[in-house]
Amino acid sequence: MKLRFVGVDRSGAVWASEPVFIKMSKREIVKLTLLSAQSNSATTPTKTTTTIRGGARRLLTLCVWTDMEYVNPEGLRLDGRRPMEMRQLRGEIGVVSRADGSAVFEMGNTKVIAAVYGPREVQNRSQQLNDQALVRCEYSMANFSTGDRMRRPKGDRRSTEISLVIRQTMEACILTHLMPRSQIDIFVQVLQADGGTRSACINAATLALADAGIPMRDLVTSCGAGYLNGTPLLDLNYVEDSAGGPDVTVGILPKLDKVTLLQMDAKLQMDTFENVMQLAIEGCKAVASYIREILLENTKQLESRRGV
Amino acid sequence: MVGLSLGEQNFIKGGIAQDLRTDGRKRLTYRPISVETGVIPQASGSARVKLGATDVIASVKAELGKPNPSHPDKGKVYIYVDCSPTAEPTFEGRGGEELSLELSSALQRCLLGGKSGEGAGIDLSSLSIVKGKVCWDLYIDGLVVSSDGNLLDALGAAIKAALSNTAIPKVQVAANASSDEQPEVDVSDEEFLQFDTTGVPVGRHYIVDATTEEESQMSSAISVSINRQGRICGLTKRGGAGLDPSVILDMISVAKHVSEQLINKLDSEIAAAEARDEEDEMDS
Repeated sequence: MKLRFVGVDRSGAVWASEPVFIKMSKREIVKLTLLSAQSNSATTPTKTTTTIRGGARRLLTLCVWTDMEYVNPEGLRLDGRRPMEMRQLRGEIGVVSRADGSAVFEMGNTKVIAAVYGPREVQNRSQQLNDQALVRCEYSMANFSTGDRMRRPKGDRRSTEISLVIRQTMEACILTHLMPRSQIDIFVQVLQADGGTRSACINAATLALADAGIPMRDLVTSCGAGYLNGTPLLDLNYVEDSAGGPDVTVGILPKLDKVTLLQMDAKLQMDTFENVMQLAIEGCKAVASYIREILLENTKQLESRRGV
Repeated sequence: MVGLSLGEQNFIKGGIAQDLRTDGRKRLTYRPISVETGVIPQASGSARVKLGATDVIASVKAELGKPNPSHPDKGKVYIYVDCSPTAEPTFEGRGGEELSLELSSALQRCLLGGKSGEGAGIDLSSLSIVKGKVCWDLYIDGLVVSSDGNLLDALGAAIKAALSNTAIPKVQVAANASSDEQPEVDVSDEEFLQFDTTGVPVGRHYIVDATTEEESQMSSAISVSINRQGRICGLTKRGGAGLDPSVILDMISVAKHVSEQLINKLDSEIAAAEARDEEDEMDS
Protein backbone atom coordinates (compact mmCIF):
# COMPACT_ATOMS: atom_id res chain seq x y z
CA MET A 1 0.00 0.00 0.00
CA LYS A 2 1.53 3.26 -1.03
CA LEU A 3 0.47 6.47 0.59
CA ARG A 4 1.42 9.99 -0.12
CA PHE A 5 0.90 11.82 3.06
CA VAL A 6 0.30 15.45 2.38
CA GLY A 7 -0.90 17.15 5.47
CA VAL A 8 -3.33 17.57 8.26
CA ASP A 9 -5.85 20.35 8.02
CA ARG A 10 -7.42 22.26 10.83
CA SER A 11 -10.26 19.90 11.43
CA GLY A 12 -7.81 17.09 11.71
CA ALA A 13 -8.52 15.35 8.47
CA VAL A 14 -5.55 13.67 6.92
CA TRP A 15 -5.29 14.15 3.20
CA ALA A 16 -3.52 11.69 1.00
CA SER A 17 -3.40 10.66 -2.57
CA GLU A 18 -5.30 7.43 -2.51
CA PRO A 19 -8.35 6.32 -0.63
CA VAL A 20 -7.37 3.88 2.02
CA PHE A 21 -8.70 2.61 5.22
CA ILE A 22 -6.30 2.67 8.06
CA LYS A 23 -6.90 1.21 11.43
CA MET A 24 -5.97 3.84 13.94
CA SER A 25 -6.84 1.96 17.03
CA LYS A 26 -8.65 -1.24 17.73
CA ARG A 27 -12.00 0.34 17.29
CA GLU A 28 -11.60 3.40 15.16
CA ILE A 29 -11.19 3.50 11.47
CA VAL A 30 -10.28 6.55 9.58
CA LYS A 31 -10.96 7.05 5.97
CA LEU A 32 -8.39 9.10 4.18
CA THR A 33 -9.53 11.28 1.37
CA LEU A 34 -8.32 11.33 -2.15
CA LEU A 35 -6.25 14.19 -3.34
CA SER A 36 -4.63 14.76 -6.66
CA ALA A 37 -1.15 13.41 -6.80
CA GLN A 38 0.54 16.58 -7.96
CA SER A 39 2.21 17.34 -4.72
CA ASN A 40 5.20 15.20 -4.11
CA SER A 41 5.97 16.98 -0.95
CA ALA A 42 5.67 14.02 1.35
CA THR A 43 7.72 14.52 4.40
CA THR A 44 9.46 12.59 7.09
CA PRO A 45 7.32 10.99 9.75
CA THR A 46 5.66 13.53 11.91
CA LYS A 47 3.92 13.34 15.18
CA THR A 48 0.77 15.28 14.85
CA THR A 49 -2.37 15.60 16.84
CA THR A 50 -5.44 15.04 14.81
CA THR A 51 -9.09 14.75 15.41
CA ILE A 52 -10.33 11.43 14.31
CA ARG A 53 -13.86 11.65 13.08
CA GLY A 54 -15.76 10.87 16.18
CA GLY A 55 -14.07 13.62 18.09
CA ALA A 56 -11.36 11.86 20.00
CA ARG A 57 -8.06 13.69 20.06
CA ARG A 58 -5.28 11.31 19.59
CA LEU A 59 -1.61 11.53 19.04
CA LEU A 60 -1.13 10.19 15.60
CA THR A 61 2.24 9.07 14.43
CA LEU A 62 2.30 8.77 10.72
CA CYS A 63 5.14 6.74 9.38
CA VAL A 64 4.08 6.58 5.82
CA TRP A 65 6.07 7.53 2.91
CA THR A 66 7.23 5.57 0.03
CA ASP A 67 7.69 6.97 -3.37
CA MET A 68 9.12 10.05 -1.88
CA GLU A 69 11.62 11.52 -4.19
CA TYR A 70 15.08 11.16 -2.82
CA VAL A 71 16.59 11.90 -6.19
CA ASN A 72 14.68 14.48 -8.16
CA PRO A 73 14.44 14.37 -11.96
CA GLU A 74 17.50 16.59 -12.34
CA GLY A 75 19.52 14.07 -10.38
CA LEU A 76 19.90 16.08 -7.19
CA ARG A 77 19.30 14.65 -3.75
CA LEU A 78 17.43 16.27 -0.89
CA ASP A 79 20.43 18.26 0.26
CA GLY A 80 21.53 19.21 -3.24
CA ARG A 81 24.23 16.59 -3.68
CA ARG A 82 24.72 14.38 -6.71
CA PRO A 83 24.17 10.65 -6.13
CA MET A 84 27.87 9.89 -6.07
CA GLU A 85 28.87 12.89 -4.05
CA MET A 86 30.00 12.62 -0.45
CA ARG A 87 29.19 15.11 2.24
CA GLN A 88 31.78 17.61 3.27
CA LEU A 89 34.55 16.08 5.37
CA ARG A 90 36.39 17.87 8.11
CA GLY A 91 38.91 16.38 10.50
CA GLU A 92 41.16 17.71 13.21
CA ILE A 93 43.76 16.05 15.42
CA GLY A 94 44.66 16.66 19.02
CA VAL A 95 41.46 18.07 20.44
CA VAL A 96 41.53 16.34 23.83
CA SER A 97 44.88 17.26 25.31
CA ARG A 98 44.81 14.72 28.12
CA ALA A 99 44.35 11.78 25.79
CA ASP A 100 47.27 10.06 24.11
CA GLY A 101 45.59 10.66 20.79
CA SER A 102 42.36 12.31 19.80
CA ALA A 103 40.52 13.57 16.79
CA VAL A 104 37.29 15.16 15.65
CA PHE A 105 35.75 13.97 12.41
CA GLU A 106 32.78 15.51 10.63
CA MET A 107 30.89 14.08 7.69
CA GLY A 108 28.34 16.72 6.78
CA ASN A 109 26.34 17.30 9.96
CA THR A 110 27.55 14.16 11.70
CA LYS A 111 30.22 15.13 14.21
CA VAL A 112 32.20 12.67 16.28
CA ILE A 113 35.06 12.93 18.80
CA ALA A 114 37.42 10.02 19.35
CA ALA A 115 39.99 9.72 22.12
CA VAL A 116 42.63 7.01 22.49
CA TYR A 117 44.29 6.14 25.78
CA GLY A 118 47.13 3.71 25.51
CA PRO A 119 49.07 1.60 25.29
CA ARG A 120 48.92 1.49 29.06
CA GLU A 121 48.81 -1.02 31.84
CA VAL A 122 45.86 -3.35 31.83
CA GLN A 123 43.33 -2.29 34.46
CA ASN A 124 41.71 -5.65 34.86
CA ARG A 125 44.37 -8.31 35.32
CA SER A 126 42.03 -11.11 34.40
CA GLN A 127 41.64 -9.70 30.90
CA GLN A 128 45.34 -9.33 30.26
CA LEU A 129 46.63 -11.02 27.13
CA ASN A 130 50.19 -12.22 27.29
CA ASP A 131 51.02 -12.05 23.62
CA GLN A 132 49.10 -9.02 22.39
CA ALA A 133 47.49 -5.78 23.41
CA LEU A 134 43.92 -5.66 24.63
CA VAL A 135 41.79 -3.28 22.56
CA ARG A 136 38.65 -1.87 24.15
CA CYS A 137 36.16 0.50 22.65
CA GLU A 138 33.17 2.43 23.87
CA TYR A 139 30.68 4.28 21.73
CA SER A 140 28.34 6.81 23.30
CA MET A 141 25.95 9.38 21.97
CA ALA A 142 25.40 12.73 23.61
CA ASN A 143 21.91 13.56 24.76
CA PHE A 144 21.69 16.42 22.31
CA SER A 145 23.07 14.53 19.35
CA THR A 146 19.83 13.70 17.62
CA GLY A 147 16.94 15.91 16.62
CA ASP A 148 14.67 14.89 19.46
CA ARG A 149 16.50 14.84 22.72
CA MET A 150 16.57 11.46 24.31
CA ARG A 151 18.28 10.28 27.44
CA ARG A 152 20.53 7.55 26.31
CA PRO A 153 21.17 4.85 28.85
CA LYS A 154 24.78 3.82 28.76
CA GLY A 155 25.13 0.28 27.53
CA ASP A 156 21.99 0.06 25.47
CA ARG A 157 22.00 -2.49 22.70
CA ARG A 158 22.78 -0.26 19.78
CA SER A 159 25.75 1.35 21.56
CA THR A 160 27.09 -2.04 22.57
CA GLU A 161 26.78 -3.34 19.04
CA ILE A 162 28.52 -0.37 17.50
CA SER A 163 31.25 -0.49 20.15
CA LEU A 164 31.83 -4.12 19.25
CA VAL A 165 31.93 -3.34 15.54
CA ILE A 166 34.44 -0.54 15.96
CA ARG A 167 36.59 -2.62 18.26
CA GLN A 168 36.76 -5.51 15.84
CA THR A 169 37.52 -3.24 12.93
CA MET A 170 40.34 -1.41 14.68
CA GLU A 171 41.74 -4.52 16.31
CA ALA A 172 42.26 -6.03 12.89
CA CYS A 173 44.54 -3.22 11.83
CA ILE A 174 46.47 -2.41 15.01
CA LEU A 175 49.72 -4.35 15.35
CA THR A 176 48.73 -5.70 18.71
CA HIS A 177 51.55 -8.23 18.92
CA LEU A 178 54.00 -5.36 19.38
CA MET A 179 52.45 -4.36 22.70
CA PRO A 180 51.74 -7.46 24.76
CA ARG A 181 50.16 -7.19 28.21
CA SER A 182 48.96 -3.70 27.55
CA GLN A 183 45.62 -2.06 26.90
CA ILE A 184 44.46 0.38 24.28
CA ASP A 185 41.19 2.22 24.94
CA ILE A 186 39.27 3.87 22.15
CA PHE A 187 36.41 6.13 23.23
CA VAL A 188 34.08 7.57 20.65
CA GLN A 189 31.52 10.23 21.47
CA VAL A 190 28.90 11.35 18.98
CA LEU A 191 28.17 15.05 19.26
CA GLN A 192 25.80 15.32 16.32
CA ALA A 193 24.15 12.44 14.51
CA ASP A 194 22.93 12.87 10.96
CA GLY A 195 23.38 9.44 9.41
CA GLY A 196 26.62 7.55 8.91
CA THR A 197 27.69 7.70 12.55
CA ARG A 198 29.32 4.30 12.35
CA SER A 199 31.55 5.44 9.50
CA ALA A 200 32.40 8.76 11.10
CA CYS A 201 33.36 6.93 14.30
CA ILE A 202 35.72 4.59 12.51
CA ASN A 203 37.35 7.44 10.62
CA ALA A 204 37.74 9.46 13.81
CA ALA A 205 39.19 6.43 15.61
CA THR A 206 41.75 5.98 12.84
CA LEU A 207 42.85 9.58 13.13
CA ALA A 208 43.04 9.34 16.91
CA LEU A 209 45.10 6.15 16.77
CA ALA A 210 47.47 7.78 14.31
CA ASP A 211 47.73 10.80 16.62
CA ALA A 212 48.56 8.47 19.52
CA GLY A 213 51.35 6.92 17.47
CA ILE A 214 49.99 3.40 17.78
CA PRO A 215 51.46 1.14 15.09
CA MET A 216 48.89 0.08 12.52
CA ARG A 217 48.94 -1.98 9.35
CA ASP A 218 47.10 0.67 7.42
CA LEU A 219 44.49 3.37 7.94
CA VAL A 220 40.94 2.12 8.29
CA THR A 221 38.36 4.23 6.55
CA SER A 222 34.67 3.71 6.30
CA CYS A 223 31.79 5.02 4.28
CA GLY A 224 28.18 4.08 3.70
CA ALA A 225 26.08 3.87 0.60
CA GLY A 226 22.45 3.11 -0.17
CA TYR A 227 20.02 2.52 -2.96
CA LEU A 228 16.91 4.68 -3.37
CA ASN A 229 14.68 5.53 -6.31
CA GLY A 230 16.70 3.16 -8.47
CA THR A 231 19.99 4.99 -7.90
CA PRO A 232 22.95 4.03 -5.77
CA LEU A 233 23.60 6.93 -3.37
CA LEU A 234 26.84 7.59 -1.55
CA ASP A 235 26.98 8.65 2.10
CA LEU A 236 23.38 8.68 3.26
CA ASN A 237 22.23 11.27 5.73
CA TYR A 238 19.58 10.65 8.39
CA VAL A 239 16.57 11.36 6.20
CA GLU A 240 17.77 9.09 3.41
CA ASP A 241 18.73 6.43 5.93
CA SER A 242 15.26 6.47 7.46
CA ALA A 243 13.69 5.96 4.08
CA GLY A 244 13.77 2.23 4.57
CA GLY A 245 16.06 1.51 1.68
CA PRO A 246 19.18 -0.61 2.03
CA ASP A 247 22.17 0.89 3.80
CA VAL A 248 25.57 -0.66 3.18
CA THR A 249 28.44 0.33 5.48
CA VAL A 250 31.90 -0.64 4.32
CA GLY A 251 35.24 -0.29 6.08
CA ILE A 252 38.47 -0.90 4.19
CA LEU A 253 42.22 -0.84 4.52
CA PRO A 254 42.88 1.41 1.52
CA LYS A 255 46.51 0.60 0.68
CA LEU A 256 46.12 -3.10 1.25
CA ASP A 257 42.79 -3.00 -0.57
CA LYS A 258 41.04 -5.24 1.91
CA VAL A 259 37.53 -4.99 3.33
CA THR A 260 37.39 -5.18 7.13
CA LEU A 261 33.81 -4.15 7.80
CA LEU A 262 30.70 -4.92 5.79
CA GLN A 263 27.19 -4.43 7.09
CA MET A 264 23.90 -4.06 5.35
CA ASP A 265 20.27 -3.87 6.32
CA ALA A 266 17.14 -4.28 4.17
CA LYS A 267 17.25 -6.25 0.97
CA LEU A 268 19.03 -5.73 -2.28
CA GLN A 269 19.55 -7.69 -5.47
CA MET A 270 22.96 -9.24 -5.98
CA ASP A 271 24.16 -7.15 -8.92
CA THR A 272 22.81 -3.95 -7.41
CA PHE A 273 24.56 -4.87 -4.19
CA GLU A 274 27.85 -5.15 -6.02
CA ASN A 275 27.40 -1.68 -7.48
CA VAL A 276 26.49 -0.18 -4.15
CA MET A 277 29.40 -1.84 -2.40
CA GLN A 278 31.80 -0.65 -5.09
CA LEU A 279 30.45 2.87 -4.64
CA ALA A 280 30.98 2.67 -0.90
CA ILE A 281 34.55 1.45 -1.44
CA GLU A 282 35.22 4.43 -3.70
CA GLY A 283 33.89 6.64 -0.95
CA CYS A 284 36.23 4.98 1.54
CA LYS A 285 39.19 5.66 -0.71
CA ALA A 286 38.22 9.32 -0.94
CA VAL A 287 38.05 9.50 2.86
CA ALA A 288 41.45 7.79 3.05
CA SER A 289 43.10 10.39 0.84
CA TYR A 290 41.58 13.16 2.96
CA ILE A 291 42.78 11.54 6.17
CA ARG A 292 46.24 11.14 4.70
CA GLU A 293 46.29 14.85 3.91
CA ILE A 294 45.40 15.74 7.46
CA LEU A 295 48.11 13.52 8.88
CA LEU A 296 50.67 14.89 6.44
CA GLU A 297 49.74 18.45 7.36
CA ASN A 298 50.08 17.57 11.02
CA THR A 299 53.52 16.06 10.50
CA LYS A 300 54.68 19.12 8.60
CA GLN A 301 53.58 21.32 11.47
CA LEU A 302 55.45 19.13 13.95
CA GLU A 303 58.51 19.34 11.74
CA SER A 304 58.40 23.10 11.52
CA ARG A 305 57.88 23.40 15.25
CA ARG A 306 60.93 21.33 15.91
CA GLY A 307 62.87 23.46 13.51
CA VAL A 308 63.65 20.66 11.09
CA MET B 1 45.67 9.55 36.43
CA VAL B 2 49.19 8.88 37.46
CA GLY B 3 49.85 9.78 41.06
CA LEU B 4 52.09 12.66 41.99
CA SER B 5 55.43 12.05 43.60
CA LEU B 6 56.34 13.64 46.89
CA GLY B 7 58.66 16.03 45.14
CA GLU B 8 55.90 17.18 42.79
CA GLN B 9 53.49 17.64 45.66
CA ASN B 10 55.94 19.80 47.55
CA PHE B 11 56.63 21.78 44.44
CA ILE B 12 52.95 22.55 43.97
CA LYS B 13 52.38 23.48 47.59
CA GLY B 14 55.52 25.54 47.85
CA GLY B 15 54.71 27.36 44.66
CA ILE B 16 51.23 28.23 45.87
CA ALA B 17 52.65 29.55 49.11
CA GLN B 18 54.74 31.90 47.02
CA ASP B 19 51.89 32.92 44.74
CA LEU B 20 53.31 31.10 41.75
CA ARG B 21 51.58 28.07 40.34
CA THR B 22 53.07 25.44 38.09
CA ASP B 23 51.76 27.07 34.94
CA GLY B 24 52.92 30.51 36.00
CA ARG B 25 49.58 31.85 37.17
CA LYS B 26 48.97 33.73 40.35
CA ARG B 27 46.71 32.21 42.96
CA LEU B 28 43.62 34.08 41.90
CA THR B 29 44.08 34.08 38.15
CA TYR B 30 41.86 32.14 35.82
CA ARG B 31 43.12 30.23 32.85
CA PRO B 32 42.30 31.78 29.48
CA ILE B 33 38.66 31.09 28.60
CA SER B 34 37.48 30.63 25.06
CA VAL B 35 33.80 30.48 24.20
CA GLU B 36 32.18 29.27 21.02
CA THR B 37 28.43 29.52 20.57
CA GLY B 38 26.08 27.71 18.26
CA VAL B 39 28.14 24.53 18.07
CA ILE B 40 25.09 22.24 17.99
CA PRO B 41 22.78 23.52 15.26
CA GLN B 42 19.97 21.12 16.18
CA ALA B 43 19.62 22.53 19.66
CA SER B 44 17.84 25.72 20.62
CA GLY B 45 21.09 27.06 21.97
CA SER B 46 24.53 25.69 22.60
CA ALA B 47 28.02 26.68 23.60
CA ARG B 48 31.45 25.18 23.97
CA VAL B 49 33.80 26.53 26.62
CA LYS B 50 37.49 25.79 26.91
CA LEU B 51 39.13 26.66 30.19
CA GLY B 52 42.74 25.73 29.58
CA ALA B 53 42.57 22.03 28.75
CA THR B 54 39.08 21.58 30.19
CA ASP B 55 36.56 21.40 27.36
CA VAL B 56 32.82 21.24 27.92
CA ILE B 57 29.80 21.56 25.66
CA ALA B 58 26.37 22.68 26.86
CA SER B 59 23.18 22.52 24.85
CA VAL B 60 19.71 23.79 25.57
CA LYS B 61 16.62 22.25 24.01
CA ALA B 62 13.24 23.78 24.51
CA GLU B 63 10.15 21.63 24.25
CA LEU B 64 6.53 22.22 25.04
CA GLY B 65 5.22 20.59 28.14
CA LYS B 66 2.75 20.78 30.94
CA PRO B 67 3.68 22.78 34.01
CA ASN B 68 3.89 21.27 37.46
CA PRO B 69 0.45 21.42 39.11
CA SER B 70 1.96 23.02 42.20
CA HIS B 71 3.54 25.79 40.11
CA PRO B 72 1.16 26.43 37.24
CA ASP B 73 2.78 29.65 36.14
CA LYS B 74 6.32 28.44 35.95
CA GLY B 75 8.16 26.54 33.27
CA LYS B 76 10.45 23.60 34.01
CA VAL B 77 14.18 23.32 33.66
CA TYR B 78 16.11 20.08 33.77
CA ILE B 79 19.89 19.97 33.98
CA TYR B 80 21.85 16.85 33.15
CA VAL B 81 25.58 16.53 32.96
CA ASP B 82 27.31 13.68 31.22
CA CYS B 83 30.98 12.89 31.64
CA SER B 84 32.23 11.42 28.41
CA PRO B 85 34.86 8.69 28.61
CA THR B 86 36.96 10.73 26.20
CA ALA B 87 37.78 12.97 29.16
CA GLU B 88 39.04 10.23 31.46
CA PRO B 89 39.26 6.52 30.82
CA THR B 90 37.76 5.95 34.26
CA PHE B 91 34.49 7.43 33.02
CA GLU B 92 33.89 4.41 30.87
CA GLY B 93 30.58 2.62 31.27
CA ARG B 94 29.02 3.73 34.50
CA GLY B 95 32.25 5.05 35.96
CA GLY B 96 31.47 8.67 35.34
CA GLU B 97 28.00 8.50 36.81
CA GLU B 98 28.95 9.61 40.30
CA LEU B 99 30.72 12.69 39.08
CA SER B 100 27.92 13.47 36.63
CA LEU B 101 25.35 13.32 39.40
CA GLU B 102 27.45 15.52 41.64
CA LEU B 103 27.89 18.12 38.93
CA SER B 104 24.23 17.99 37.90
CA SER B 105 22.97 18.50 41.42
CA ALA B 106 25.44 21.31 42.15
CA LEU B 107 24.33 23.11 39.00
CA GLN B 108 20.67 22.51 39.74
CA ARG B 109 21.09 23.91 43.20
CA CYS B 110 22.58 27.08 41.90
CA LEU B 111 20.41 27.67 38.89
CA LEU B 112 17.07 26.48 40.05
CA GLY B 113 16.81 27.72 43.59
CA GLY B 114 14.80 26.03 46.26
CA LYS B 115 11.94 23.59 46.05
CA SER B 116 9.34 26.23 45.51
CA GLY B 117 11.24 27.62 42.58
CA GLU B 118 12.01 30.77 44.49
CA GLY B 119 15.33 32.41 44.07
CA ALA B 120 16.14 30.68 40.87
CA GLY B 121 18.79 32.09 38.61
CA ILE B 122 16.53 31.48 35.69
CA ASP B 123 13.24 33.29 35.72
CA LEU B 124 10.89 30.35 35.43
CA SER B 125 7.75 32.40 34.95
CA SER B 126 9.10 33.68 31.66
CA LEU B 127 8.87 30.12 30.40
CA SER B 128 5.17 29.83 30.99
CA ILE B 129 2.86 30.08 28.00
CA VAL B 130 -0.62 29.28 29.19
CA LYS B 131 -0.93 29.19 32.94
CA GLY B 132 -1.59 25.71 34.12
CA LYS B 133 -1.66 24.19 30.67
CA VAL B 134 1.38 24.78 28.52
CA CYS B 135 4.87 25.83 29.35
CA TRP B 136 8.35 25.51 27.99
CA ASP B 137 10.50 22.70 29.28
CA LEU B 138 14.17 23.52 29.01
CA TYR B 139 16.49 20.58 28.89
CA ILE B 140 20.03 21.69 29.55
CA ASP B 141 22.62 19.04 28.75
CA GLY B 142 26.25 19.37 29.63
CA LEU B 143 28.94 17.13 28.19
CA VAL B 144 32.45 17.01 29.55
CA VAL B 145 34.73 16.30 26.62
CA SER B 146 38.09 16.89 28.23
CA SER B 147 38.77 17.37 31.90
CA ASP B 148 41.65 19.25 33.46
CA GLY B 149 40.15 20.45 36.69
CA ASN B 150 37.50 23.01 37.55
CA LEU B 151 34.62 21.32 35.75
CA LEU B 152 31.97 23.23 37.65
CA ASP B 153 33.16 26.60 36.50
CA ALA B 154 33.48 25.51 32.93
CA LEU B 155 30.01 23.95 32.97
CA GLY B 156 28.51 27.00 34.59
CA ALA B 157 30.08 29.24 31.99
CA ALA B 158 28.96 26.95 29.18
CA ILE B 159 25.39 26.87 30.44
CA LYS B 160 25.35 30.63 30.72
CA ALA B 161 26.67 31.02 27.21
CA ALA B 162 24.26 28.42 25.86
CA LEU B 163 21.31 30.15 27.49
CA SER B 164 22.29 33.49 26.08
CA ASN B 165 22.54 31.81 22.68
CA THR B 166 19.13 30.18 23.06
CA ALA B 167 16.34 31.29 20.83
CA ILE B 168 12.88 30.07 21.70
CA PRO B 169 10.07 30.65 19.25
CA LYS B 170 7.36 33.01 20.31
CA VAL B 171 4.15 31.23 20.91
CA GLN B 172 0.80 32.72 20.18
CA VAL B 173 -2.14 31.07 21.74
CA ALA B 174 -5.21 30.94 19.54
CA ALA B 175 -8.67 30.78 20.97
CA ASN B 176 -9.24 27.10 21.58
CA ALA B 177 -6.19 25.30 20.51
CA SER B 178 -2.71 26.55 20.97
CA SER B 179 -0.65 26.81 17.88
CA ASP B 180 2.97 27.74 17.59
CA GLU B 181 4.29 30.36 15.34
CA GLN B 182 7.86 29.86 14.44
CA PRO B 183 8.99 33.05 12.72
CA GLU B 184 9.62 35.20 15.74
CA VAL B 185 12.54 34.32 17.81
CA ASP B 186 13.10 35.42 21.31
CA VAL B 187 16.32 35.17 23.17
CA SER B 188 15.75 33.60 26.51
CA ASP B 189 17.69 35.54 29.00
CA GLU B 190 18.02 35.27 32.68
CA GLU B 191 19.38 37.19 35.49
CA PHE B 192 22.66 35.54 35.54
CA LEU B 193 24.91 33.74 37.54
CA GLN B 194 28.47 33.01 37.89
CA PHE B 195 30.32 30.11 39.28
CA ASP B 196 33.46 30.31 41.15
CA THR B 197 35.62 27.78 42.81
CA THR B 198 38.07 28.36 45.52
CA GLY B 199 40.33 25.61 46.59
CA VAL B 200 42.18 25.33 49.80
CA PRO B 201 45.41 23.44 49.77
CA VAL B 202 47.57 23.20 52.83
CA GLY B 203 48.25 26.48 54.50
CA ARG B 204 46.10 29.54 54.41
CA HIS B 205 46.18 30.08 50.71
CA TYR B 206 43.31 29.81 48.35
CA ILE B 207 43.57 29.16 44.69
CA VAL B 208 41.03 29.64 42.02
CA ASP B 209 40.57 27.47 38.94
CA ALA B 210 42.62 24.45 39.91
CA THR B 211 44.07 22.03 37.39
CA THR B 212 43.73 18.31 37.96
CA GLU B 213 47.07 18.03 39.74
CA GLU B 214 46.23 20.87 42.05
CA GLU B 215 42.80 19.40 42.69
CA SER B 216 44.35 16.13 43.72
CA GLN B 217 46.33 18.00 46.35
CA MET B 218 43.59 20.07 47.81
CA SER B 219 41.84 18.99 50.93
CA SER B 220 38.60 20.83 50.39
CA ALA B 221 36.98 23.26 48.03
CA ILE B 222 34.09 25.62 48.00
CA SER B 223 32.09 26.45 44.93
CA VAL B 224 30.18 29.67 45.13
CA SER B 225 27.68 30.81 42.62
CA ILE B 226 27.29 34.56 42.46
CA ASN B 227 25.05 36.64 40.30
CA ARG B 228 25.65 39.96 38.71
CA GLN B 229 24.41 41.91 41.70
CA GLY B 230 27.00 40.24 43.88
CA ARG B 231 24.59 38.03 45.74
CA ILE B 232 25.23 34.42 46.49
CA CYS B 233 22.94 32.04 44.65
CA GLY B 234 24.40 28.74 45.71
CA LEU B 235 27.16 27.26 47.75
CA THR B 236 28.73 23.83 47.70
CA LYS B 237 31.50 22.55 49.88
CA ARG B 238 33.39 19.66 48.40
CA GLY B 239 36.08 17.55 49.90
CA GLY B 240 36.39 15.91 53.25
CA ALA B 241 38.59 18.13 55.40
CA GLY B 242 36.95 20.37 57.95
CA LEU B 243 37.20 24.11 57.54
CA ASP B 244 37.06 26.83 60.08
CA PRO B 245 33.95 28.99 59.56
CA SER B 246 36.06 32.13 59.35
CA VAL B 247 38.03 30.52 56.57
CA ILE B 248 34.84 29.85 54.71
CA LEU B 249 33.70 33.45 55.02
CA ASP B 250 37.08 34.56 53.83
CA MET B 251 36.88 32.29 50.81
CA ILE B 252 33.43 33.58 49.96
CA SER B 253 34.64 37.14 49.90
CA VAL B 254 37.56 36.12 47.70
CA ALA B 255 35.11 34.36 45.44
CA LYS B 256 32.95 37.46 45.16
CA HIS B 257 35.91 39.54 44.21
CA VAL B 258 37.18 37.13 41.60
CA SER B 259 33.79 36.43 40.14
CA GLU B 260 33.21 40.06 39.17
CA GLN B 261 36.18 39.86 36.88
CA LEU B 262 35.03 36.49 35.64
CA ILE B 263 31.55 37.73 34.82
CA ASN B 264 32.92 40.62 32.83
CA LYS B 265 35.37 38.41 31.03
CA LEU B 266 32.69 35.88 30.21
CA ASP B 267 30.27 38.48 28.98
CA SER B 268 32.81 39.90 26.61
CA GLU B 269 33.76 36.42 25.40
CA ILE B 270 30.14 35.49 24.81
CA ALA B 271 29.48 38.73 22.96
CA ALA B 272 32.55 38.14 20.81
CA ALA B 273 31.45 34.58 20.08
CA GLU B 274 27.98 35.68 19.05
CA ALA B 275 29.42 38.41 16.87
CA ARG B 276 31.58 35.82 15.17
CA ASP B 277 28.56 33.62 14.75
CA GLU B 278 26.57 36.35 13.06
CA GLU B 279 29.44 37.17 10.78
CA ASP B 280 29.68 33.55 9.76
CA GLU B 281 25.97 33.47 9.09
CA MET B 282 26.15 36.58 6.98
CA ASP B 283 29.11 35.31 5.02
CA SER B 284 27.66 31.91 4.24
